[in-house]
Amino acid sequence: MSEPIHNLTNLDRVIHEPSRLLLVALLSSVESADFLWLLKESHLTKGNLTVHLSRLEEAGYTLVEKSFRGKFPHTEYRLTPQGLAAFEQYRKSMGAILDH
Amino acid sequence: MGTLIDTAIKRGRGYWFVDGFIELLAGGILILLGGILLLRGMAPQDSFLAQFLSVTGEIAFVKLVGFFLAALALWWLKDRFTYPRTGFVRGKRLSAMQILVFFRNGFLIMALPMLMLLVAFLTIPLLQGALFSMPVWFPIGLGVLWAVICLLGHQWTGLRRFQLLAGVIILAGIKAGVWQWTIDTSNLTFETAIYRTFTSASLLTLLSGLALVISGLITFLRYRHEYPAPYQEEA
Repeated sequence: MSEPIHNLTNLDRVIHEPSRLLLVALLSSVESADFLWLLKESHLTKGNLTVHLSRLEEAGYTLVEKSFRGKFPHTEYRLTPQGLAAFEQYRKSMGAILDH
Repeated sequence: MGTLIDTAIKRGRGYWFVDGFIELLAGGILILLGGILLLRGMAPQDSFLAQFLSVTGEIAFVKLVGFFLAALALWWLKDRFTYPRTGFVRGKRLSAMQILVFFRNGFLIMALPMLMLLVAFLTIPLLQGALFSMPVWFPIGLGVLWAVICLLGHQWTGLRRFQLLAGVIILAGIKAGVWQWTIDTSNLTFETAIYRTFTSASLLTLLSGLALVISGLITFLRYRHEYPAPYQEEA
């Protein structure tokens, strides 16, 4: 009985935040995606999205690649293996907590 | 718990189909293939072997050239229309081994049962009668197989229209089979059975292509309505 209670406090707080959880879930099914796609899918404001992506990058969960598409700057975000592992672990932990 | 997260995961997988371009192009190729087969079936027939080789050659040509042109058109359309409106997504990269396994499974699922059936019909005398009813059961079987692929697509991407497409394709297969059932089957030779299988399969291909084009067109119009212009920075 004590283990699930312990799990509850051990949840990854970087991913646990709803907006970041959505961003990580979106990125988990693709190789990479640009800022515009994440903006449209998450319905966050540009400022909020930038803050959450920065937080994920700081945690080492996402990688940012800047390039040019024609004349325009283009930024792509991808989930790192560490980010993907953290997401899978989070899903497992939440599943265990809710199923218990 | 998993439901909303799973939906978010499927959004990435389904993004490839968000604008309807894939259905429009795939439907176009199927209509072209079905049209060729149908016209061939109706045209006066030369020797069976010449006709058979000519039709299979045309199918292979349309598939190869069609897929190449469709891939080019898709790349151009996505780059000019979709990415400026709703963003760019790079799909998961597959390793060489995953691609190999994908093609192996595709072959095992699609080609092997057909091949085994054909061998069984040709070698087991008792089953040879079933060969002559191939124009009826072949399009139904093929329709069911395509419908299963559509349902897998629905499961993978969460897009409901794939379920609808599966239903329409099964109905198209049944329609093609019933159409052949109503035609007089007395004095049917092996060659005629093959010709008529081509014809019934062509009807299925044509109807499936039409369903895909309609689905793609509706999706495209809805997408264009929702995103009439490329995304612009707010002032």
